[in-house]
Amino acid sequence: MNLDFKINGNDICVRLYGEIDEYTARTLRADIDKLIEAQGFRTMTFDMQNVTFIDSTGLGFVLGRYKKLRGKRAELLLKNVPSQVDKVFRTSGIYSFVPIVE
Amino acid sequence: MNNYFDMKMLSNGKNEAFARSAVAAFSLPCSPTVEEINDLKTAVSEAVTNAVVHAYKEDGGIIELYCEVDEAARWVSVSVTDFGCGIPNVEEAKEPFYTTRPDDERSGMGFTIIETFTDEMTVRSKVGEGTTVTMRKVFKGC
Repeated sequence: MNLDFKINGNDICVRLYGEIDEYTARTLRADIDKLIEAQGFRTMTFDMQNVTFIDSTGLGFVLGRYKKLRGKRAELLLKNVPSQVDKVFRTSGIYSFVPIVE
Repeated sequence: MNNYFDMKMLSNGKNEAFARSAVAAFSLPCSPTVEEINDLKTAVSEAVTNAVVHAYKEDGGIIELYCEVDEAARWVSVSVTDFGCGIPNVEEAKEPFYTTRPDDERSGMGFTIIETFTDEMTVRSKVGEGTTVTMRKVFKGC
């Protein structure tokens, strides 16, 4: 699992790559939390276009980042959600907390 | 006789990707759709994660993965067995968002996803002996 990001003022867009499961979520969690701690962003957007697989551990990872950001009065957003990821997200109702943006 | 494979692996998170890919590859003769294969991979990943994270916790152990396909009838059956701690109350564990480890950012959606993404799920568990999760997916798409 890999990521890259682009910062635009108080907003950051993080592009995630590959599979998010029990094995990959740990590193990803640590990397994203470093970004969250580094700067007080207003919004963080996960671009999911290159995520090839996610399961409920990945879902827990996204919800965890949502909570962490909310604690800092920041918002988590999602974009380009592929169909496999979308199905897992829809099953959990995560979109009522973490909306999709264009 | 239906084709099957039966294997043992270490309860390492690293093996989750292997387990779901192996089941997906083995099911290909049933001509599943992309969505059906993704559903199956997600469900298998949930069952293996349960064994790694909940059954054995940090200690590690053996996970058995049994997979049987009926190419003519187009279904696959997958059983994931561990010999870990077992689940005291299976019905409670199956409830959406139920988790014993909320601090660990667990979503509690594992069994719900297996139930939603496959056609049939059975969970047999005995405290101190282990758990077997069996799922069956019928491929209906063309």
